[in-house]
Amino acid sequence: MSRPEISYSQLLETNNLIQNCGDETYWLCLTRTVQGSKLFPVSAYILLSYLNAFYRYPTLLRKIEASMPAETIADRARTMGMKIQNSAIGWALPNFYLLGREMLITFGMLRPQDALEDVVYVMDFWKRYLLSWHRNDGHLNNREYGQRAQILPDRRLEIFHRDLYLCEPGDALHEAAHSFLATASQYGFLISCESRISLTNSGPYRLDDRHEMIVRDFMDLGECALPWLDGVAADVPYNYLTVPMSVRDCHFSIVDDWGSFESKPEFTSDKLAGIGLYTSDALSEGFIPVGMASREELTATFQLLNEKMKEATRKLWLRIAGWTRDQMLDAGALTYYNIIKDLAHVAGVFAVEDWLTIDPRAERFRPLFNDELSDQLLGSLVVGHDLPGHRQSPYTMMQHSDRPVRTYTPLPYSVLAGDEYVASCGEPQSGTSHLVPKIDRYRTTQGVLTIDDYNRRARAFTPELCQDKYRFLCETWVKYHHRTPLAQDLYRLEQLKSRTLQGKGAGPR
Amino acid sequence: MKKLLIDDDRYGTPPQSVLLEAVCNSVNDLVRRRFTDSALPWSQFVFSASDHLITQADFEGVEKRLLDTGYRFKWSAVISQRERPEIYCAADGAADDAASFSFDHPDALVGEPDAAGRAACGQGENVVRRPANAIGIARYVRSSERVIEFMNKGVPPGSIAIIDDSGGTLTAPILEHFAGIVCAGGTIRSHLGILAREYGIPCLMNAKVRRIRDGDRVELETSADAMTAEAYFTGEAKTARIWKLAP
Repeated sequence: MSRPEISYSQLLETNNLIQNCGDETYWLCLTRTVQGSKLFPVSAYILLSYLNAFYRYPTLLRKIEASMPAETIADRARTMGMKIQNSAIGWALPNFYLLGREMLITFGMLRPQDALEDVVYVMDFWKRYLLSWHRNDGHLNNREYGQRAQILPDRRLEIFHRDLYLCEPGDALHEAAHSFLATASQYGFLISCESRISLTNSGPYRLDDRHEMIVRDFMDLGECALPWLDGVAADVPYNYLTVPMSVRDCHFSIVDDWGSFESKPEFTSDKLAGIGLYTSDALSEGFIPVGMASREELTATFQLLNEKMKEATRKLWLRIAGWTRDQMLDAGALTYYNIIKDLAHVAGVFAVEDWLTIDPRAERFRPLFNDELSDQLLGSLVVGHDLPGHRQSPYTMMQHSDRPVRTYTPLPYSVLAGDEYVASCGEPQSGTSHLVPKIDRYRTTQGVLTIDDYNRRARAFTPELCQDKYRFLCETWVKYHHRTPLAQDLYRLEQLKSRTLQGKGAGPR
Repeated sequence: MKKLLIDDDRYGTPPQSVLLEAVCNSVNDLVRRRFTDSALPWSQFVFSASDHLITQADFEGVEKRLLDTGYRFKWSAVISQRERPEIYCAADGAADDAASFSFDHPDALVGEPDAAGRAACGQGENVVRRPANAIGIARYVRSSERVIEFMNKGVPPGSIAIIDDSGGTLTAPILEHFAGIVCAGGTIRSHLGILAREYGIPCLMNAKVRRIRDGDRVELETSADAMTAEAYFTGEAKTARIWKLAP
């Protein structure tokens, strides 16, 4: 079974990526959260999701790339606020997969070299995607950039900046925006079963000496790919909302690969100085302004969305309160596992069977996931590092902890010397779910579609800014060619829906 | 019996948790037996064969053997204990919000009432420093039933939520109506702390409190310095006090 198809350099690079993920996971889990829930069995569903990710991600990522390469999807990610940013791709994609692998190694069901080609492929997909998505800041991820994400190009940032409506504490827009942000955050935690994965932030971007801008995304809000929102979110008119927000006298010191931020001083609503609102998805020509025609319209839009999300929150909470533990486990596990499902939406290959079911190879572990064992195993996997597989030579010192441990088991180089390995865990198997089946109704910027229609349209669609003519007109090119007709076209195309910059092109800065 | 690769781990030591060690050992034994019985080389066993040879019934057996020893699991989600009380420790009223209930943390800094009738009854970590302390009536929110009660009747104005769930979902439909929050768990980065900051609700996380009962008038020192990431990393204690006030 030994097949020397993997090179030494591939293994070296894969192990470097694995180690980076392990170091970051420890830091994030140690410093960025302590979570508990009396409503959801959170640790149990997280563990189930990791196993589902291990058994299915390799095949599903290959299926996605058969339709659209990782780099192409990542380029599109800069033109929209879908769940193909952080924490989905920046952290969850490799780490859910690797944590599933580590569980199976702990159980003795996997050797480090098993599924070797899967591991190499998943990490390579992740690297290619992140380098493409982060091409404007030139880093692999926020961790490498010192906990910062400057994803967007100048032309988009200029629009987000210039189209902001200024606001002050006490005015109607400020009040409406503040209420909306809180309600949308609350709703986001609920729809994602006590996780923050429907919310993300990127930036910060410097506006002037006193102001920074951060871009906030609220995702999976409407009736789309989460079956538990069928019905209860019918009146939520957008599935993805993007909120550029300027703040005064507040520096965002951390924007991490979970999409969480931290600021000095602590961000509070009185520091909110400007706000905008957009929607987008796999079928939109970039960001579409929402209620941005006037200050009054934006205020009213925030108020309307606020009410609709509060009502959806109330209905969804009552639905969840009636769930069985198995239903909670499935909803949570699927929320985590399908955190990368929007890759399939963009590539036009989304299938309910792929993203909304638990593979039987993962499902069989369900009896192990009582609350106590789950809490302990999850804690050991990400922070405790006291499982046998974590232990290294006593001379070693892990980053951050200085202990002789590591989060993830590297691939062994001995396969290059003839040690046999198994290439892949194989194809996904027919899965199950305890939840009510997904209704074939997907809210998009082109209306409510069936999944077949959504996929068909996605496969046929390339946003104008992502066409070959413009795709590689990067920030370096713009720096030296901004006076050319092509640069003017590029900027005017981005400015088509801008209230303040439409038709202005790439003027001098 | 055939050996597994992990049987030759040079550095591995058992996990600290006895429960986790027992489960890992039990699963390792299971895999060893199935691998041996299959008579297959590992490369044929690891996925294609073991996918079917190691079953859900096997893992139910792992759970059963643990329970047969008399062990009962601690629960964290109320639904877990309610659905299968036979495998979890007793609830012991831990989900109720009865008027007689009070958190009773051994590390709570408590004291006798001062001249104004203000008695220390604990401390927590301040999410955001505010110009003034928060004062209100303590209302325990520890169960779905209590949330539904507040959904139906409304949260009385000036209520301070006393919570032991640092998540953002149990209280989702009612959280915005509280004038303050005391959470006996989590950190300022927990979902509840994040939401308190977004809503602008004064909030103390990771609180250690005693002697607070539903309906008590309480004061939270939300004018104290906020907890910071640096303080978590260095282990520096930054606490805000909690008092029970004279009725």
